[in-house]
Amino acid sequence: MANSFFTLLIFTPLLWMGLLAGVYFTRIKLSEQHLSNALRFYSLYMVTLALGLAVLTFLHRPSFLLIDFADWFAVGDYQFKLRFIVDLLGATYALLATALVGVIFRFSRNYLHREAGYFRFVFLLSTLLFGLIVVSFSRSIDLLFIGWELVGTTSVLLISYFYDKSQPVVHATKAIISYRLCDMGILAGAAWAHHYLHTTDFVIIPTLLDHGHGGAGLVFIGLFITWASLAKAGQLPMCSWLPAAMEGPTPSSAIFYGALSVHLGPFLLLRFYDYFAHFPVLLVLVGLIGGLSAVYATLVGRTRSDAKTMLAYATISQVGLIYIEIALGFTGFALFHMVTHASLRTYQFLRSSSLIQDFYENPVVEHNRTIHRRFSFERFFSPAVRQRVYVHALHGFHLDYFTGRLIAGFLYPMRVYLQWEARWLEFDTRLLKLLLRKK
Amino acid sequence: MMKLSSPFMEIVPLVTTFGPAVISSFFHIGKRWQDFVLGLLGVLFLFFAVIFFTDEFSDSAFVYSLFDVRYNKISVFIGLLYCGSLFTGLYPVRRTINLSPEFLFYVAGGLGIILANNLPTFLLFWTFQRAIPMRAFLKEGTGGTYVFQHLMTFICFLLLMFFAGKEGLLLVPMTEMPASFFTWPVLLLTFVIVYEAHGIFPFHSWVHDVVGRLPWYEFSAIFLTRAGILLFVQLLLPTLKFDPDIFQILLLSLSIFSSLYWSLRGILEENFAKKTTYLYIAQASLLLTGMQANLTAAKGSYLHMMVISVAGTSLFSILGYVNHSFGLKRRSQFYGMATYYPKLATLFCLFGFCVIGVPLGASHVVEDVVITGLLEYWPYLGLGHIFATALNGILFFLIFTKIFLGPSPYHETHGNFDMTLGEMLPYLLAFLLLLMIGLMPSLFLGRITW
Repeated sequence: MANSFFTLLIFTPLLWMGLLAGVYFTRIKLSEQHLSNALRFYSLYMVTLALGLAVLTFLHRPSFLLIDFADWFAVGDYQFKLRFIVDLLGATYALLATALVGVIFRFSRNYLHREAGYFRFVFLLSTLLFGLIVVSFSRSIDLLFIGWELVGTTSVLLISYFYDKSQPVVHATKAIISYRLCDMGILAGAAWAHHYLHTTDFVIIPTLLDHGHGGAGLVFIGLFITWASLAKAGQLPMCSWLPAAMEGPTPSSAIFYGALSVHLGPFLLLRFYDYFAHFPVLLVLVGLIGGLSAVYATLVGRTRSDAKTMLAYATISQVGLIYIEIALGFTGFALFHMVTHASLRTYQFLRSSSLIQDFYENPVVEHNRTIHRRFSFERFFSPAVRQRVYVHALHGFHLDYFTGRLIAGFLYPMRVYLQWEARWLEFDTRLLKLLLRKK
Repeated sequence: MMKLSSPFMEIVPLVTTFGPAVISSFFHIGKRWQDFVLGLLGVLFLFFAVIFFTDEFSDSAFVYSLFDVRYNKISVFIGLLYCGSLFTGLYPVRRTINLSPEFLFYVAGGLGIILANNLPTFLLFWTFQRAIPMRAFLKEGTGGTYVFQHLMTFICFLLLMFFAGKEGLLLVPMTEMPASFFTWPVLLLTFVIVYEAHGIFPFHSWVHDVVGRLPWYEFSAIFLTRAGILLFVQLLLPTLKFDPDIFQILLLSLSIFSSLYWSLRGILEENFAKKTTYLYIAQASLLLTGMQANLTAAKGSYLHMMVISVAGTSLFSILGYVNHSFGLKRRSQFYGMATYYPKLATLFCLFGFCVIGVPLGASHVVEDVVITGLLEYWPYLGLGHIFATALNGILFFLIFTKIFLGPSPYHETHGNFDMTLGEMLPYLLAFLLLLMIGLMPSLFLGRITW
């Protein structure tokens, strides 16, 4: 039964995306109302499947289901296997994804009513859901990469949803640069795993490690994977794109940067936890990154004044805490934290655009009353230190500046070479003119 | 099964293309004549497709002569891609372009290069095709690097033929050259010729003289011939395992480095047409990486060739169409063309995704196969390949955002100028093909058997 649930869960989104693409490129007119009604049915259907699968997995825990489809393709000795794992981690994440995407579909029906890009929004969100389901149940790094990339691509396209304005486009570019640089980590991790262990299977890798396979080079797989997780999770040093990504419509900000996409980083680490457990040094690294990111985001977030940016930094901070939990080995708690945090943030993001109205309509809050923080850790520091920290936090601890310098340093040899090459080209042309006796 | 065993079948593509080229250089080309020529390209595409899918490779009537053209699996495959890509790119925009006689000679010369079976024939067509822009450069006194680098390659060719002649191998088909022929001087000469023909570092500078100067379809006609790949596959590949390891590492690392170079060059470039061309060359540079690694990676490279030929030409074509209508000459950070061409913008984006390795598109499969193949022997170079792919992706997104996203500087223009469904049909078919490669790669990988 779980097998059938799973097959439907993974193939229905593909079919749905194909239908939407067909409607877009043909002359079929689909009204907003019809699309919304279809979405309501589709969301309910997906949530039911995911819930059914999650219940079955929960009842049979701690055992898990391995599902093998036929090889996707095979070249020589190499086969790309469509292998999935249905365990509590994957089923929980898939249930969270289908439920929250359903909520966003419902919310956007009113929020994006009569928006020209509503259809595009629906298509991209549907692609996101497919990507998330693939990530949730992938049994190998190769397969996980497919979902991972789809999530990244849809994320970037939704940041630039209002594509006729320059800021969203600039920020989408920033996001794709961060994504691409970190996605290299997954590919490199897969490559390294293929090279050292001849497999990228999440179930087989820990077994091989238990039997003492591989060597010192294996630690690089973990380093690459940790690096890969940073951009999606918005952790240091790849965090500056996340607050900037709030340029997209609020529902997409909620689903990507409050709920699902941002938690893919910790999800990846949880998926790899059995591997990470063999390398304590990697867990220390994960904990350090999480700790630093949490402190950084807390300090910077407190200097920001708009709701969505504050929420973005709060998210980075919480994800940092989840990293620490994973590093300490509290994997179950980390999963619980992910689910609750994702749900809360979705609610907060969705309400952020009507925050002022909510505040004044709240019967508990008196009118014209200023709200003070009950606890502020700043008071433990002297005013001079507080002021200095505040100024640096206001500038995001100059992270963008340092990143810019790093990129400029990386591009410097290229710029020098290009100048040299331009001179070379000019010299050639002059020489040719000289030989041809032309002015 | 169709029989194509007539010994003179090899010259059919040459006659079909040289004929209209000669006629065009004497008479004015009208739009109808242009349609006819494009139709011929379509027919040639079908012609190559029939040969490719029926595996009917005839014996050449000209074998062991100075002029030796022949169908073999690689030449038919590249011929198929050559005609198919040009047709896909040119047919939807045929009303917006004026094909010059030079273009028709490029096409004819390109087919000659593709079908050439020995060194003298290859040199004949290669010189013919590359001499067309050289004539213009010499007339204007510009493009010095193009002229000098091609002269250098021409001399290398002559030297290679001299060595071949000394061994009595001058008229021998390239695939039948014995391993003993490839001594260090011969390897180095071949290396220079292959890498120069393919625009790979350090023999790449001539590309700068051509980029932005020739229309996109003339540039495509030069690059789609894959002269470097053809020489590599036919001349070097059969005996590559006997060559020194250092030579293989040199070839591999330079092609990866070249892709990195072109990607970075594109990222730093302001002109969007040049940016797109650099993306295309950066992708093409990676072709040689897979070819050299092992059989698994080589299959991936053949698929990659298919992807970048079809998708690359479509990208150029869409860009050319948009540029034709708007003449994107105003200095602007963004051109915001998605406002006027929403469907073409979507197609441009999808073709780009197919090129840079986004899953469900063809290039993702290619990346997977090539990197896996590379890792077997050269793991560190495999990482270089991954980095190059990442930079390629960034470059594509920069191009897409610059042309199609952001606020448009053409505030005075209103309306939707998209192509109709019928007009963009070749693009849609090409995209469906790429999607099918991405979703069902086995169907295509199974056909690549040599």
